[in-house]
Amino acid sequence: MLLIKCPICDCEGDETDFHYGGEGHIQRPTSSNPDKVGDEAQRDYLYVRKNPRGLHSERWLCERGCGKWFHALRDTATMVISKTYLITDKPPAELKKAGKK
Amino acid sequence: MPDLDRNLALSHRHQEMENQALGIEMSERDDVGMIDLRGKADDKAFMKNAATVLGVELPTDPRTSIKKGGIDILWLSIDQWLITTPLKSHDKTLSALTKKLTKNHALVCDMSDARSIIRLSGDRVREVLIKGCSFDATQPDFKPGTVRRLLFAEVAALAHFVDSNPDVIDLYVFRSYANYVWEWLLQTAHEDAGVGLFQVQDAPVV
Repeated sequence: MLLIKCPICDCEGDETDFHYGGEGHIQRPTSSNPDKVGDEAQRDYLYVRKNPRGLHSERWLCERGCGKWFHALRDTATMVISKTYLITDKPPAELKKAGKK
Repeated sequence: MPDLDRNLALSHRHQEMENQALGIEMSERDDVGMIDLRGKADDKAFMKNAATVLGVELPTDPRTSIKKGGIDILWLSIDQWLITTPLKSHDKTLSALTKKLTKNHALVCDMSDARSIIRLSGDRVREVLIKGCSFDATQPDFKPGTVRRLLFAEVAALAHFVDSNPDVIDLYVFRSYANYVWEWLLQTAHEDAGVGLFQVQDAPVV
């Protein structure tokens, strides 16, 4: 069972007090004209997800605290959550660094 | 607007209480109405206007509450508060808040009949609470005034620590779950179902 701490309300609880929201920082292919968005870009946005061994950015909902979404950096090998940050924050530097390996 | 002789979710359960052997006292609160207030805590005009009506500033620290007169203001989120008001002055508070906050980006909503409040009191209240959720109610920072949302007996609930010595905790549950939670409490808070966590225990016989 993961122990998670919400960065907004400082509520610490186990996994069942939170709700998993999938991978973080997924961007919709932007275009004012939908015809210009290729099938591959749309497919990647909808279905293709990273499956790294190591740092993974994911979204969590603080269901029994403040009811807000936030991001967490979890190591998929050790299950250690090294960092939590706000939902509007950009991907932290360590995530980019881990992706380049 | 809550009806003054409204039909409470648990009004039919009170008469059977005399035959129950419980380690705590429990009853449904029938004397308060509830107002859901939403707005941004960093919006100074909103905070000021809300404070003017309520007579006290909205609490901004997580999981805290403030009591002013008969009104309790419970922190629910960074942009949400639950206000419990005495039933008699409920309409007055509700309309005053609505009127004062019309020009602010805010929401005032009467939630009096959405939830039921079960008041638990007695020395074994914390013990009953920890049987139903993963939250550790024995920790010292769980003191009067604290508000905590819980997954209690598998349903969404909110615990408001009202008083200590003896402990008094208000348990807010959705009205449709009230009967189930009451039933659950009758079993769990039975006087023979104690775990003796907060009393001196005899050394085990060797």
